[in-house]
Amino acid sequence: MSTEPAPALPKNFLRPCLLLLLREEPAHGYDLLERVQSLGFNGSDPGGLYRALRALEKDKLVRSVWEPSENGPDRRIYEITRSGMEELHRNAKAIAAGQESVASFLSRYEEFVALPRSGDRSQRDAASAR
Amino acid sequence: MSELEALRVRDEVLQAMYWMSSEGLAERPAAAELAGFLAVPAQTLGPFLVRFVEEGYLEQEGERFGLTSKGIELGKRSFADEFADLTRPTHGECDEDCWCHSSPEEAARCLEDRAHVH
Repeated sequence: MSTEPAPALPKNFLRPCLLLLLREEPAHGYDLLERVQSLGFNGSDPGGLYRALRALEKDKLVRSVWEPSENGPDRRIYEITRSGMEELHRNAKAIAAGQESVASFLSRYEEFVALPRSGDRSQRDAASAR
Repeated sequence: MSELEALRVRDEVLQAMYWMSSEGLAERPAAAELAGFLAVPAQTLGPFLVRFVEEGYLEQEGERFGLTSKGIELGKRSFADEFADLTRPTHGECDEDCWCHSSPEEAARCLEDRAHVH
């Protein structure tokens, strides 16, 4: 799984995504690696995730502690801090504002050319599989 | 390489290898994998890895490197030390835009969190 964002996602989208996942619940690195896929990241880049988590921790937006394991080495479990929640909220507001601009752009562009939607693609894939 | 630089790289490598191992991602990464993980050039990292093998923190099997018990101990400890000051709760002042204003439930949670902090 790559933590490289899909082409249409903002460059530093991984940061707010990790904050959102940790706002939902504290998690280990591997859990985050799996769950971040639902937000548009695909492939395999655990190093990107590791570096992003360290940067978030240095910025005091997340904190982590060792969680003892009976079956192997202790694992680091991450949770969002108060500052992280505030940063997430700021990011979410910026994304919402950006979304309006993007929607406006697409609406005006589609006056000329209709663009395929993700739903269209899944319908097309299902049709070709039949 | 300077001694200070070697110490900094040693901590970074051991911490990353411990994290990879504890998350079940890689027990014995190759130098190139480790370099990719840390986003540094493999040719830069190579001489450091050789040095850490000589110092007893890593063991080498072909192209792959694993942590020795000494490396495991230091990797785990230095990870904890590095973030020791950062693992305490943050102050928790919120402004007018804070998410806690979005609903009474969120506001209650916000207050509860602040009570734990102070």
